[in-house]
Amino acid sequence: MWLRSASFVLDQRQQQEEPSSFFYDPRFYDPRDPAQLPPPSPSIDPMDQNPNPNHGISAYYQTRAEHHAVVTSDWLAQAQAAVGRDAAPSSGRPTAAASSSSAARTGSVGGGGKPFSVIDEFNYWRKKPDLAEAVAAIMALAAVIRSSEATTMMELEIELKKASDTLKSWDTTSISLSAGCDLFMRYVTRTSALEYEDFDAAKLRLIERGEKFGEISLKARRTIAMLGQDFIFDGCTILVHGFSRVVLEVLKLAASNRKLFRVLCTEGRPDRTGLRLSNELAALGVPVKLLIDSAVAYTMDEVDMVFVGADGVVESGGIINMMGTYQIALVAHSMNKPVYVAAESYKNDSCELLQFARLYPLDQKDLAPALRSIDFGVPIPSGVEVETSARDYTPPQYLTLLFTDLGVLTPSVVSDELIQLYL
Amino acid sequence: MPDVQALVNDFVLKLKRRKIEGSHASAQHTAELLRSVISHQRMPYTNQAGALIDAVKAVGEQLIAANPVELAVGNIVRRVLHIIREEDLSSTATAIEGLGLSAGSDDDDEGQHEDRPALSAAALAAAARSTLRAPSLQTLLEDIPDSAAAPQPPSSGGDSEGKSKSADKNIRSRKLKHDVIEAINELIQDIDTCHEQISEQAVEHIHQNEVILTLGRSRTVKEFLCAAKEKNRSFRVFVAEGAPRYQGHVLAKELVSKGIQTTVITDSAVFAMISRVNMVIVGAHAIMANGGVIAPVGINMVALAAQRHAVPFVVVAGSHKLCPLYPHNPEVLLNDLKCPSDLLDFGEFSDCMDFGSHGGSPLLHVVNPAFDYVPPKLVSLFITDTGGHNPSYMYRLIADYYSADDLVVKRRSTS
Amino acid sequence: MAQKKGHRSLSSDDPEELARVPLQAVLLADSFATKFRPITLERPKVLLPLVNAPMIDYTLAWLESVGVEEAFVFCCAHSQQVKDYLNKSQWMKQPGTFTVQPIESHDSISAGDALRVIYNLGVICGDFVLVSGDTISNMSLKEALQEHKERRKKDPLAVMTMVIKHSKPSSLTHQTRLGNDEILMAIDPDTKELLYYEDKTDQSQRFITLDKMLLASTPTLHLHNDKQDCYIDICSPEVLSLFTDNFDYQHLRRHFVKGLLVDDLMGYKIFTHEIHSSYAARIDNFRSYDTISKDIIQRWTYPMVPDVQYFGNCSQMKLDRLGIYKAPEVDQSRTAQIRAFSLIGNGTAIGDHSVISNSVIGQSCTIGRNVSIQGSYIWDNVIIEDDCKLSHALVCDGVHLRAGVVLEPGVILSFKVEVGQKIVIPAYSKVSLLPQPSKQDSDEELEYADANSGVVESPSITSIANTRNVDPVPDSPDAEHSDTSEVGISGVGYIWSTTEGGHEEEWRHSIAPIPAEKLMEFCLSAHTDLGVSNQDVNSLPASGELQLDSESTGFDDGEDYKDSADFEKEVEATFQRVLAGVNPENVILEINSLRLSYDMSHADCAGSLFYSIMKSALSAPFSSNRELLLNTGKELSRWKDLLKNCLKTIDEEIEVLLKFEEMCLETTKEFAPLFSAILNHLYEKDILSEDAILSWAEEKEGADESDKVFVKQSEPFLKWLREASEDEDD
Repeated sequence: MWLRSASFVLDQRQQQEEPSSFFYDPRFYDPRDPAQLPPPSPSIDPMDQNPNPNHGISAYYQTRAEHHAVVTSDWLAQAQAAVGRDAAPSSGRPTAAASSSSAARTGSVGGGGKPFSVIDEFNYWRKKPDLAEAVAAIMALAAVIRSSEATTMMELEIELKKASDTLKSWDTTSISLSAGCDLFMRYVTRTSALEYEDFDAAKLRLIERGEKFGEISLKARRTIAMLGQDFIFDGCTILVHGFSRVVLEVLKLAASNRKLFRVLCTEGRPDRTGLRLSNELAALGVPVKLLIDSAVAYTMDEVDMVFVGADGVVESGGIINMMGTYQIALVAHSMNKPVYVAAESYKNDSCELLQFARLYPLDQKDLAPALRSIDFGVPIPSGVEVETSARDYTPPQYLTLLFTDLGVLTPSVVSDELIQLYL
Repeated sequence: MPDVQALVNDFVLKLKRRKIEGSHASAQHTAELLRSVISHQRMPYTNQAGALIDAVKAVGEQLIAANPVELAVGNIVRRVLHIIREEDLSSTATAIEGLGLSAGSDDDDEGQHEDRPALSAAALAAAARSTLRAPSLQTLLEDIPDSAAAPQPPSSGGDSEGKSKSADKNIRSRKLKHDVIEAINELIQDIDTCHEQISEQAVEHIHQNEVILTLGRSRTVKEFLCAAKEKNRSFRVFVAEGAPRYQGHVLAKELVSKGIQTTVITDSAVFAMISRVNMVIVGAHAIMANGGVIAPVGINMVALAAQRHAVPFVVVAGSHKLCPLYPHNPEVLLNDLKCPSDLLDFGEFSDCMDFGSHGGSPLLHVVNPAFDYVPPKLVSLFITDTGGHNPSYMYRLIADYYSADDLVVKRRSTS
Repeated sequence: MAQKKGHRSLSSDDPEELARVPLQAVLLADSFATKFRPITLERPKVLLPLVNAPMIDYTLAWLESVGVEEAFVFCCAHSQQVKDYLNKSQWMKQPGTFTVQPIESHDSISAGDALRVIYNLGVICGDFVLVSGDTISNMSLKEALQEHKERRKKDPLAVMTMVIKHSKPSSLTHQTRLGNDEILMAIDPDTKELLYYEDKTDQSQRFITLDKMLLASTPTLHLHNDKQDCYIDICSPEVLSLFTDNFDYQHLRRHFVKGLLVDDLMGYKIFTHEIHSSYAARIDNFRSYDTISKDIIQRWTYPMVPDVQYFGNCSQMKLDRLGIYKAPEVDQSRTAQIRAFSLIGNGTAIGDHSVISNSVIGQSCTIGRNVSIQGSYIWDNVIIEDDCKLSHALVCDGVHLRAGVVLEPGVILSFKVEVGQKIVIPAYSKVSLLPQPSKQDSDEELEYADANSGVVESPSITSIANTRNVDPVPDSPDAEHSDTSEVGISGVGYIWSTTEGGHEEEWRHSIAPIPAEKLMEFCLSAHTDLGVSNQDVNSLPASGELQLDSESTGFDDGEDYKDSADFEKEVEATFQRVLAGVNPENVILEINSLRLSYDMSHADCAGSLFYSIMKSALSAPFSSNRELLLNTGKELSRWKDLLKNCLKTIDEEIEVLLKFEEMCLETTKEFAPLFSAILNHLYEKDILSEDAILSWAEEKEGADESDKVFVKQSEPFLKWLREASEDEDD
């Protein structure tokens, strides 16, 4: 019902046609939404100014919040407020502008009569419950190929490049998004490298390859679940932070194997990912207890292990994950509780391949900050700064094991593997 | 081959009844048993590797189930499986030479994902390695072994090769089996000689006038110390007696007979003594993939004491004790509770166990666990027959010894 | 400790060691007892599951592990079932040297018969191990065999070696952990020869009698009541022939062992071998079933424990902390609790909020919600509906308990019994589909073995419904006929009236712990039983009578006085009755019985009788001492012969004197002046002999003045006496 209330607000906005509203909302173009198919032509304009580098909320988090179905109307209001207030120019501006225009072009080139937007595609895919962001991105790119009329491999590649750039720059902070794009791009270049006699064959192959990534990631998740559930023993208490599809998968499998365990969910402010996870688990009949994020240390003594997902795994073997993971890991470490990370491998695979390849964060600030607005319930007095970063970096020494579809790895193994792969 | 079956059953029974105990003995027996299994395995026309692997897995499954605590058994089974793959690979590599295999690799891999048993998660992982890594880094050349190693459900993978190399099958069939048996013989050799190889390194680690502490009795440790003595290093050894089996007393005898200064202390005196100790050397029951150690009970305490006083804690173990699994809940799952009569005399306490008079619930409970789990962060060095390694490096050894497909030993038919 | 571990290692390589001599074993797959009725009416005892594995498997596994090569399984009751089981069990088709061979016989009614049968078959060629199919052990026979063989070399008369284990009996109830009475053995500490064996010591009498010869022949022997008989014997072939020679030998211990011990003309000897670190015990009754199950769960029998699948066939168990064993396929509700020392079999489902503690649950059982199971043994395929309460009960295969059933401690439900809703089965009752055999049969009688023992004849119905109204010991007949109407809800089965020994004996052998009030009873008598064990009886009186317990530790003098005091009152009372004109003979009897009941010596009796006589003398009115003297004279002469009865020996007479003295000093001062006169009188009436008086005087010689008053007073009389005796002499 949150979803509905949110959409309700949005629809209102749409009717008013406020040009002043910088707020970008992908649902507005949701292909599945009958009211908006085909998207009305004016919809191009917001499309053009999107993403507006000025607003302080990375689109990633707006939409993510929404998909996590716990976005509230006051959340949107607060977002607006934040937009109005915060005028700090973000460094990403030029590229973003470029990309947005390019995205437009892509649309025009590829779209033929009907305008085509990668981002819509992306968001469409992302709404699928069990699809990881990276996969969504790949699906979107595959769609690009499908809808493109390029005649040579070269053109196609260029097109894809642009499309993926659009996606990435649309949200510079989502690791898995860019990971997906890069993964696919690499594959494209690679296939084109081996000369295909005719272009169409190549194209088909690329598309089908794109589809395959979907099932690969699903398989990956299943694998991780199987590896991870061994570590859950009867009568244990598991602390989970944030909502990770992989972690959920692990818990699901364990529950279906008649393991008797109990889960403590952190609330996961501000987008309340914990609530969602607790819903899912309660549905499975797993006893769940919700904690506010600050109650972690308080409850740690009754916890047997900590399970977290990861947005990305970096070369050091540490992870980048939702804000709060670091402090939980610290507490767990100081109380000698194991911290288990469940992450699909293309996360670190792509990491070491692309802009994160050499990323060896030494402290939290080394990351590209993912900004989001935070709802403090009360209006924030002017001149008060708000830490809006969405993620933190957890150094390897605080992690016990990583469950990846490459098997169970210790952080040191991860870093070794990544380095070794890079040489 | 009924005779082999009989052998297997006999061995399984022995394992079940704890007639064979100790990683060295069980490892050796397992290897020999598997060798005979393989030598009796008749080779099909196509895909010998597959046949062998299936046969070995079939046997290995029973052996592991027979005594899950004896990890060495599982290790050896996996080692043998790995050997088979290696041999197969080396022979295929030549066979596939010059075969244009484009992106075919991907197809094979995908094809194999479908019919993979849901159980062998690790196997999936392995395959995932080959798929996801393939696009990620390897050049085309690297794809060749990749495709060959990937066929983990041997049937599909195997006959995809079968097609490719119809020419020199007969030669290969002889060769493969022969090579495998050769390799297993080497493995048995290694298991026998691991003590020598380990103790060769003794001099590098034990220095003049050092004080060394150990707990219980491990043959490896004994040989290690004696080797150092033979290189006429003079040093003293503190032996914690290692209750309740008191193997320390035996070790003390042996060391003294070798002319080594020996002091026997109680287990509870370890912390008191540790400050005077230069190095702790202990044996292990098994080394887990994360560098954790399953060792005779009491050693965790020693490790903690050593850490408290920053005394290096060295674990000596043959490579057959290296286990590719990760310990989950090791205190319970990987432990063996022995008979309480080691601890106290039944007769003296029988009146405490008179269930007639105490409301029927046993008030006296005697726990006698066989093993301790020492977390990797307490271990400063592992000395195996391949040299010294630190705990975080263990996975690399494991990668050399085992192929990731075999982590779960389960026949696809049974799954 | 070192020796301990040596022990263990030895047991491991036994088979190779003993391969030279083919070692044989005789396994009696029939207890020839009725302790396990009614269960044993339908299934032989050796096939009853003990911690989810048939007992016989434990025994066979042990025999195999100690290197026995040929095991003859003697089956009698339900022989078909036993044979079928063996045929499909692993033991038959096992690789290796261990062969199992069933021997069938239908007319044997005792171990004796069984051994005779085996003798006639002539299969036993050398020394053999004799066990019954319900023996659990992990000991190594190696030394025992060695000792036995060496002894045989030295003297061929050492026909048998009994394995015993140190195990204290409960100081309270005088019964061992295993439920049978404490066993008394006299063992020669040097040769370990068994000299005396008594397993039926009754506690009422406080002494045992050993043959003088024993003490004469052996310089020293130890009496043990803290040894447990493991019922594992290493026998030489002669044993079989001995059984055939004396047909009256039925019971192994009661007849054979005792028989050998008493008759000294054949001079066969039995020796003992004590085991220390390892475990051995025999399941003889329900209590020992309970105890041994708990020992197994506590791993005393390692490696024969559930999680080491020793007998291949049983499913892989997972041992969790606190001794909780769980099979892989257990469907446990999240809210159900399994407490310490429990074992849950494969495919069992446990509903919400059920609590299980120290119990063994078999395979594929269904347990409903809010069920509490405590200290119970539940076999396979049992259905327990919601809200049932089981405590210390034994529930056999296929039983169905409907909602709200309560099983009180010690209940036994035999196969396929059904119990209707909300029914309380009273403590110690046994329910079976088979009717109770009419006549109560003795211990010797064999398990109910008729041709169609396997099949259950159609049960007539007793209503368990109203057992609440029925008295705790429900008599089947009226319970049956009362209302056969509500079969549907009530369920199926007979409630057996309690077996021999009666209800008050039930607690001894049942699974349930001994009830508190019983313990209280024992506590009262407990302090008399201290220091029983291990008395070195070197310095025994030749009479060979050994006082097992020393009252002196038990009673302090305070209550000793009290006793004798009211004893005196009693005597006086009876004496009053005599005055009332009761026939003196009866009085004598009465006094004697009094003496026994208060367990006083003749002396006391005499003293108090005399006391009451004097009192009566005193009671008659008198003005002067003279009259009093007369009265006394009358009384004495009147009751002379009554008094004489008590004065058997000189001791009593002296006692009388002392008493008299005491009276003069304390209670009845009136006699004080007349002491010598009355003494004289007593002598005249020859109630007191002169030696008595003289020895009394001598006794008094050493005493201090205050005591001597009367001696002095009667000095002339004494003097006269002495002279008299002297001139008698010459």
